[in-house]
This record gives sequence, structure tokens and C-alpha cells, in this order.
Amino acid sequence: MSIRRRLLVWLLAAVLAGGITAAAVVFFQARSEANDLFDYQLRQLALTLRDRTYAPSQFAEVLQGEEALDFAIQVWGPDGTELYESHPQLRVPGAVQLGFSTGEGVDGQWRIFAIQQRGLTIQVAQPMAVRSQLAFEAALRTLLPFLVALPLMGLLVWRLVGQEMKVLESTASAVARRTPESLEPIAIRSVPAEIQPLVAALNGLLARLGGALSGQRQFIADAAHELRTPLTALKLQLQLAQRARDDAERSNAHAMLGEGIARAVRLVEQLLALARLDPDAPAKREPLDLAMLARAVAQVHAARAEDAGLVLEAEAAQPVPVQGDRAALETLLDNLVDNALRYTRSGKIVVRARRDGTGAVLEVEDTGPGIAPGERQRVFDRFYRGESSPTGGTGLGLAIVKRIAERHGASVALADAADGPGLRAIVRFP
Amino acid sequence: MRLLLVEDDAMIGTAAQQGLRQEGHAVDWVRDGREAEAAVANGVYDLLLLDLGLPRKDGLSVLRSLRAKGTQVPVLIITARDAVSDRVAGLDAGADDYLVKPFDLDELAARVRAVLRRHSGRSAAALRVGGLEIDTAARQVRWKGRDVALSGREYALLEALADRPGAFLSRAQLEERLYGWDDEIASNAVEVHVHALRRKLDPALIRNVRGMGYSLVKDA
Repeated sequence: MSIRRRLLVWLLAAVLAGGITAAAVVFFQARSEANDLFDYQLRQLALTLRDRTYAPSQFAEVLQGEEALDFAIQVWGPDGTELYESHPQLRVPGAVQLGFSTGEGVDGQWRIFAIQQRGLTIQVAQPMAVRSQLAFEAALRTLLPFLVALPLMGLLVWRLVGQEMKVLESTASAVARRTPESLEPIAIRSVPAEIQPLVAALNGLLARLGGALSGQRQFIADAAHELRTPLTALKLQLQLAQRARDDAERSNAHAMLGEGIARAVRLVEQLLALARLDPDAPAKREPLDLAMLARAVAQVHAARAEDAGLVLEAEAAQPVPVQGDRAALETLLDNLVDNALRYTRSGKIVVRARRDGTGAVLEVEDTGPGIAPGERQRVFDRFYRGESSPTGGTGLGLAIVKRIAERHGASVALADAADGPGLRAIVRFP
Repeated sequence: MRLLLVEDDAMIGTAAQQGLRQEGHAVDWVRDGREAEAAVANGVYDLLLLDLGLPRKDGLSVLRSLRAKGTQVPVLIITARDAVSDRVAGLDAGADDYLVKPFDLDELAARVRAVLRRHSGRSAAALRVGGLEIDTAARQVRWKGRDVALSGREYALLEALADRPGAFLSRAQLEERLYGWDDEIASNAVEVHVHALRRKLDPALIRNVRGMGYSLVKDA
């Protein structure tokens, strides 16, 4: 049901109810006043008849003018014989008591006043219907303005609401004009106060949408740009392989080509991982043990560490239970260990899972060159590569780590290794 | 020709260096902007291959400060930035040409030759000195109408001499043009190549004057 129709129905119903209530009040008030007035008239008439000592035969003459008021007059003699009856056909109830009374006649109720004088009983009666009729007419007169006002008010409400709704329509068309390319906020000034919260909320949504969209566009542009580098390398390596003049050159070129392909594959995988980590979707929550995760990831990279002459250890003896997305946290830890393996020339890498006063902590510590404090924030930016980055990195690893941590409400920090040079990546869960 | 390759990506650097060496160039490779500036200040390069997205000092800044110092070395920009505004900025900063990644080794070599040719004041790809004809695009040498097969270094040495016929180039200058930092140079390398050229072409074509160096005889 439209606001306009609902408003119209309720408003008109209220007006009508008001009118009826007023009419009812007027009706009862008028009837009570009419009762007093007519009772007084009844009494006056009866007293007049008593004071004038007319013969009963003269009553008709005397009362001629009064008949219009629907008075019925009866006179009885001392012995109860009816001496006069003005309206025999009305069959007014007979005298029951002196003074005022209400009697039931054939055609309804009668108001009766009876008086005795010199053996004559004089009764003046009037149908109650006259009084009700009068009160009803007064009530009707009261109701009339309401009934006239009703359609006028309806028209007014219809037009007024329509006018206000036009603002809504213009707001709606302003929303309809918004496209992914133009998400500027909708003007809030011209909108009624009642709709302002809605428009404000809509503007908030538009702003968030715009941010998300431009983020996506930037991501695609960055990704396309970043793909050029490994593709350039591949193209050159392929040509070197084609030009190779002997087996040694050829196998060397093929080895380089293989490395280039591995790197392109890694970049694409990382891009996919990042794209899947929708920043707005909350992380899956399942109970898992960070210590077990640390040991598993360390094991996965053990062979690679050994090839590079590095020691890779997991320090995760005690269970560290958290709620989280197992696959995502594995990717997080995998990226941190991968980074450590890339940068560390000699020494050891420790993957640690522990609890401290505030909560669960994952750490990867290496004996590599570390990262200068000034660079520690920027390395989380997508595609940012440090000054002394070794080859094969995608510039996405830490961006992925950060996003996974954020989805878990965890914080990531980079610090110096506990002793000597090296980097310590700390993921702190709430 | 001796080239300086400035490229931060190890794979592209390795492959480009190797490809250009096969073309007979001596290629030195540095990985960031500051190293590039130091190398240009110390070395004698016929051409700079400059990436733009470089650590420590970006390529465009390197190029601008080189040009501000009056360094005339030709510069070929190699970059992934393909917007027209980027190209214009690069050329305005003093680059001689602009190559967008991913590029082809053959195209790179052709652009290098074109820039070098333009810079030496030759517009045509052919170089003619007496009975000697050098097609610098195809890297082919004809002597008195007959095709002569030369090794990469022999060709590079001959082209260096043919560039300014009659002018003397010292052995050190020739070594600098023929070899990069990593190349091992035998003490008599230049003599060996000159000897080979004399044998394949004409003994009288290359003159050697003690204390001055080597030159190409114009009317041999």
C-alpha cells in the first residue's frame, strides 16, 4: 500500500471519526436540552389549561394553536371518564401518575405531564420522537461541515503527499543516474528531513562502492602491468633458446625459460589468491591449532631450505588453538616462510606459534638482511618490492599476508630479529 | 659497440644482456639508478638501455640529470609503461627512442642499431668506405663485392673503425667498445681481431701506428 493511500485512508477515517464523535456529543447534548425545554413547555401548557377554567368542551378551541407542536391533551373527569382527547387516533397511554412520566404508546414513547385540579385530571403528552428528531437535526448540522471538509481534506492530502513524493522521485532518478563511472554523492539539502537518513546511508554506500570499484580497477591495472615483467623475460628467454647454437647454450636457455615460467605461474597464483580474499567477506571460522599449522608449513619448506643450506625450524610445542580459516592461514604462513627463504643467504629460519598475555601469536624469524624501519609499512603495499629484492618475487606476498590477517582481526608487524640482523614477522591474533 | 643496460629485473637483465652480446655488443648491466649514474660517469658507452621503474633513482630522473650534465650518450628507454604521456615524458627528457615491454630481442637489436646509426650521423643502414660495404642492419660485410663472414667481435671492431674512417682509435678505446666488465680480455685480443680482419679483407685496410692506435685506410 502506498504511503499516499495509507495516509489518505487514515486521515479521512480520523476526520470522519472526529465528526461522528462531535455529532454524537451534540446529539446527546441537544436532546438533553430539548428534554428540559419541552418538559418546561409541557408543564407550562398543563398549568395554563388548569388555570383557565374552561369547560372541557372549550379545550379544543383553546388548544388549536398548540396542536402543531404535537401535543396530545387529554382531560378526565373525577370519575375517570374521558372528557376530552385532542388526538384520539394517537392512542396516547392513559394517565398513570401525576407530574412527569414516560409512557409507552403504540407508536413509541411519549413524554407525559399530568396535573389534577378540581377533580379534573389534565394530561399533556408529546412523542419522544420529536425531541430525538430535533437533537438528530442539530447533530446533523454539526456533522455537515465535517462531511464537506472530508473530500477537501482528501484532495489536499493527495496533492500534498504527491508533492512531497516528487522529491522522492527526483531522489530516485538521481540514484538511477548513478553508474559505476559516476558515483558522486546525492545532494542531501533538497531532501525532506525524513528522507535525509536514507540519502545519507545511500551516499555512504556509494562512497564505499566507489572505493571498492576504484580499488578493483587499480588492482587490474597493477596486475596487468606486473604481468609484463615476467612475460618480457619469457619472450627474451624463448628467443635465446631459439637462437642457441649448441647444446650447452640451449640447455642453459631452457633452464632460464623454466625459471621464467615458474615465476609467471607464481605471480598468477598470488594474484588469484589476492583476488579471492574479498576484503568484505568475513573469514571462515573453524577451530584449529596454530602450532600444528606452523609445523606443517615448516615441513613443506624443509627440502627447499636444505637445498639453500638454511636451517628451518618450527618452535611450536604447545598447542595454540584459535578460530580461523585453515587454508587462508596456511597461505599466510607460507608467504612469510617463502619470503624468509628468499632473502636469507645463510643462518636459520624459525617458525613459531605461541601464546602470550594478549593472545595467540605466529612468528617467522630469519637471519636475512632485515628491512629498514622506514620501509616496513610500504612493503605491505601491493607490488612493492624492496631495494634489494631478490629475483622471482611477485611483490604480493606481504599484501596477501596483511589481507588474511585483517580478515582474522589479527595484526601484522615487522620487527628486528631478537638477536643479530634479520627480520621477525609477527602476526598477533585477538 | 659498448652498451650499458640498466634493468632491475634479473631475468630480463640476464636475457637482454645475453641477446645483445650475441649481436656483438659489449654489454654492462647495472640494476638501479644510482649505479647507472656511476657507470655512465666512469665508462664510455655508445648507448644506454634504460628501464624507468628502477630502485633508488627512477629512470626518468637518471635521464634528466644526465642530460642536465650535458652527457650526450644516446638513450633507449625500455619500460612497461606504455601510456602516450609516459612516452612523451621519456622522449622529452632526452631519450632517443622508447621500447615497450614485452619486446622482441630482434626488435631491441634493430632499435639499438637505429639509435646508434642516427647518433653517428648516418641515416642509412649502409656504411661505405672505399671497397668496404657494411650493412649495419643485417650486420653483413662486403669487400669489393664479395660477402665476408665475420665473428661478432670482428664485426664490432670493423664497424667502430669504419664509423670514422681515417681516425685513430687506441687499443684501450677499442677494448672498451668491444668488451664489457665481465668479459675476459686477452692482452692481445685487439691484435688477434685486427689480424683476422686483415686476413679476411685486405692486409692494407687497417693501419696500425705505434702510440696512436688503429685506423681504417679510406682508399684501400
